Amino acid sequence: MARSVVLLFPGQGAQYPGMAVDLYRRHATFRTAMDEVLSLWGDEGRAIRTDWLADWPCIDLDDLRRAQPLLFAVDHALAVTLREAGVVPAALLGHSVGEIVAAVVAEVLSLSDAAGLLAERIGHLADAPPGGMLSVAASPAEVRPFLLDEVALGAVNAARSVVLAGPAAPLEDVRVRLHAAGFTVLPVPARTPFHSPVLGGHAARSLPSVRRLSWSPPTVPLYSGYTGGLLGPAAATDPDFWAAQPARPVYFADALAAVSTAGEQILVECGPGATLTIPARRSPRVRRAGTPVVPLLPRRAGAPGSDLRHVTEAIAGIVEAAGPPGPEVSTRIAGSVLSR
Amino acid sequence: MATRELTIADLTRLLRSAAGEEEGVDLDGDILDTDFATLGYDSLALLETASRLGVEYGVTLTDDDMEAITTPRALLDRVNSTLTRS
Repeated sequence: MARSVVLLFPGQGAQYPGMAVDLYRRHATFRTAMDEVLSLWGDEGRAIRTDWLADWPCIDLDDLRRAQPLLFAVDHALAVTLREAGVVPAALLGHSVGEIVAAVVAEVLSLSDAAGLLAERIGHLADAPPGGMLSVAASPAEVRPFLLDEVALGAVNAARSVVLAGPAAPLEDVRVRLHAAGFTVLPVPARTPFHSPVLGGHAARSLPSVRRLSWSPPTVPLYSGYTGGLLGPAAATDPDFWAAQPARPVYFADALAAVSTAGEQILVECGPGATLTIPARRSPRVRRAGTPVVPLLPRRAGAPGSDLRHVTEAIAGIVEAAGPPGPEVSTRIAGSVLSR
Repeated sequence: MATRELTIADLTRLLRSAAGEEEGVDLDGDILDTDFATLGYDSLALLETASRLGVEYGVTLTDDDMEAITTPRALLDRVNSTLTRS
């Protein structure tokens, strides 16, 4: 009954107001891990924290300057929380910015180097053309006739769930045409056309600094949405591969199919919400194998204590499925919950 | 035509076509009271299902309706009560 644990790290689109704030107030390990990441960004980290905890943030959560660092910090702090509970991942897969967190957990990049890479990336994307992303209930082949030079296929999340990305005006044009043709379209909460070639020049500007970081082969099997499969040591340590990511499409469905081939597993969404959990549950291999897919956090902020309850129950389920941790680890989990 | 009913088989067919044949819900197993989230249906897949219901059955379901309908049985009941009334 021992299942191997696969961690899924969500990216842009998974953020929601008040995500993990309740957990931050109640769970010492999670709080320390959040503070550690935020402190790496100095003054900007303090501003990010203030906006995260505020009811009326200065910079909106969907802005890349808030969504990206907060998703990185929350995903990573949850991975630390899981590790402390004795959960050892057998494989990792991140979506978009989640892939950088996967790289940290796989020890490809140190936490501070990864935080630096992200800050650099955000800095270079800040003057990118305003735009966004659209979720479309369609296959890649169905949307292809609607694409323009500037509006590209940004992600394939499931057989009939794709994301298009591009600058605001042409993206709106594509949305109108898709709607008229009877397609179901939903906006992704983002103001930047992530994963479209429009960002190519902006992404390339981070190359010199990304090349200076220190890269190591993964110590845990690392799957990539950019290759749609397992990342070999050469690609995993290639700075150009990482620097180009904001302008490259994410083949999440392929990467998920690749990661879910190896035996009895439990998939764990290590981030806010269930944006990866739900498509993973309808992925053919996951469904056929009866693989449980467990989100650590709820799908929205709830009553005081709800995050902590959700995470505690999820971790108990994961520990049971993966085999129990040693007694020393159990004591540490009990001790890490703040008493209030 | 006025009293056309949405059967479980019809709904299953619609859910399957919305998600794609490979990924649609299984006919076998009791799915009626299982949460859509557990079945792997997010808001995009549910709005797509609602759109297909609109085309095939002339039933209008708003985004808010779909937010409140969380299981296949609730969707079936909602559609059939609308169809009987019309």
